[in-house]
Amino acid sequence: MSTDTKKLDEGLKEYQRQQQLINLKYRLLSAVGIIVFLLMWQMVVKLGIVNEARLPAPTAILNTIMFKIHNTPPDGNVLWVNILSSLQVALSGFFIAIIIGIPLGLFMGWWEYADRFLRPIFELMRPIPPIAWIPIVVVWMGIGLKAKGLIIFFTAFVPCVINSYTGIKLTNKTLINVSKTFGASNLEIFYKVGIPSALPMTFAGIRIALGNSWSTLVAAEMLASSAGLGYMIQIGRQVARPDIVIVGMIVIGAIGAILSGLLSFIEHRFLKWKVEH
Amino acid sequence: MHSNTKNIVHSILYWSLPVLAVSLIIIIWIVFSSNHPELMPGPFSVWERLIKTFTIPIGGASLLGHVWSSLQRVLAALLISWTFGISFGILIGWNRAASAIFGSIFEIIRPIPPIAWIPIIIMWFGIGEFPKILLVFIGTFVPLVINTRAGIEMVDKIYINVGKVFGGSNAQILKEIVIPTALPSIFAGIRTSVSSGWTTVLAAEMLAARQGLGSLVTKGWQGSDMALVLVAVITIAITGSVLSFAIMKLEKAVCPWNN
Repeated sequence: MSTDTKKLDEGLKEYQRQQQLINLKYRLLSAVGIIVFLLMWQMVVKLGIVNEARLPAPTAILNTIMFKIHNTPPDGNVLWVNILSSLQVALSGFFIAIIIGIPLGLFMGWWEYADRFLRPIFELMRPIPPIAWIPIVVVWMGIGLKAKGLIIFFTAFVPCVINSYTGIKLTNKTLINVSKTFGASNLEIFYKVGIPSALPMTFAGIRIALGNSWSTLVAAEMLASSAGLGYMIQIGRQVARPDIVIVGMIVIGAIGAILSGLLSFIEHRFLKWKVEH
Repeated sequence: MHSNTKNIVHSILYWSLPVLAVSLIIIIWIVFSSNHPELMPGPFSVWERLIKTFTIPIGGASLLGHVWSSLQRVLAALLISWTFGISFGILIGWNRAASAIFGSIFEIIRPIPPIAWIPIIIMWFGIGEFPKILLVFIGTFVPLVINTRAGIEMVDKIYINVGKVFGGSNAQILKEIVIPTALPSIFAGIRTSVSSGWTTVLAAEMLAARQGLGSLVTKGWQGSDMALVLVAVITIAITGSVLSFAIMKLEKAVCPWNN
C-alpha cells in the first residue's frame, strides 16, 4: 500500500518535472524569437540593406529613448511630459464615458421606455467612426484638453453602452422570476440581480473602450495638438527623425499594454465571485 | 377595462418614443444650426451640399467615386489580411513552438494602434496607394490573429482526443475538427477587422490622400466647408453600416450554426 503511494508520488513528481522542462523550453523559444528578431533588425540596418536614415537600428532607438528622458528637442517636451499629457486626455475621456455610458446602457437595457427613447439617438451616432468626429469637435472647441477629451469620450462611450445594455438584457429570466416571487421590487432586482449579472459583459466593454481611447488619442493628437505622444510622432515625421517616430510608437504600445494589464487586474478583483462559483 | 387602457397607453408610448427622439434630434439640429451657422450647417444646407458633390466633383471624383476609392482600399487590404491573418492565427494557435517564437514578436507589435503606424509608413513609402493598403492591413491583421488564435486554443481537448483515438492525423484533426470549431471565433475576428479597417482607412486618408471619404473630411475642414464635412461623415456612417450588415449576412451563410 505504502509502496504504491510512493510510486504514485514519484510518478507525479516525474510528470511535474517534465512539464516544467517543457515550459522552460517554450519560454526559451520565446526569448530566442525576440532576440533573433532584434538581431536581424540590427544587422539589416548595420549591413546597409536598409538605409539607416529610414530605419534606425534598435541600439539607436535605445539611445533616443535615453535622450528623450532629459531633453526636449525636436518636439519641445521631455518624454514624461508627453506621456502625462496623453494619459490625461485619454483617461479623462475614458472615465467620463464609463460614468455616463455604463449607467445609460444598464438603464436602457432594464426599462423598456428608456430603451425606446434613447436607442434611436444612440443608433444614429454609433456608426460614425470617432476619427470622423475630430474635425467637427475641433471646429467647435479648438484643440484643447476638452476637445480631445470629447473625441475620446465618443470612442469609449459606444462600447460601454452596447456591452452593459447587452449584459443586462441577457440576465437569466429565472433569477428575475425568483426575485419577484420573493417580493423584490423592480428597482431592487435591477441592482441586486441585473447589475451583477451584467458585470462580465460590461468589463469586456470597458476593455474595448480602453483600447479605443488609447488608439483614438493618437489620431486626435496627430491631427491637432501641441503636446503628447501622438504629437511627438507627428513632429518626428515632419523633421524626418524616424527614431523619434519609432520611440513614440514603442512608448504608446508599452503604455497601452500596461493599461490593459491594470484593467485585467481590476477585473479579476471585481469578478472573483464568478470564479468561485 | 382598466388593463385595456393600460395597453393602449403602453402601445402609444412604445411607438411614439422613438419618433419623439428622432424628431428631437432634428429640431435641436435645426435650432442650433440657425443660431450658429458657422459651427454647424443646417439639414438643408447639408442636403444642398450633397447634391453639389454630384454636379461639381471634388478632387476629380463625385461622392460615389470617393466612396469607391475608400472601399477599394479597405477591400484589397481585407482580402490580404484575411488570408495571412487567419493562417498566422491558426499557425500560432495550433503549434506551440511557432506560438513561442512568433507569438512573442506578435505580442510586442500588437499593442501599437494602427494609427500610430501612419507617420512611419508615410516616411517609408510616401503617400501612394500601397502605404494606405499596408496601413489597413496592419489595422485588420491584429484582431484577426487574436481571434483566430483564441478560437483554435479554446477548442475542447476532448474533441481533439476523440480525433486521435479514431486515428486522425494532425492535419486531419486540424482541418476536420479544430478549424470548424473555431469558425465562430474567426468570424468575430473578421467582423472586428471590417470595422477597424474602415476606421483605419479614414485616418490614413485624412492625413494624406487625394481621393476617398477621409480626404473629403479634411478638404471640408481645411476649406471651412462644414457642410462638406457633414456630408462626408454621414456617408462614412452609412457605408460603415452597410459593410457590417454585409458581413453579418456572410457570416449567416458561412456558419449558420453560430448563434
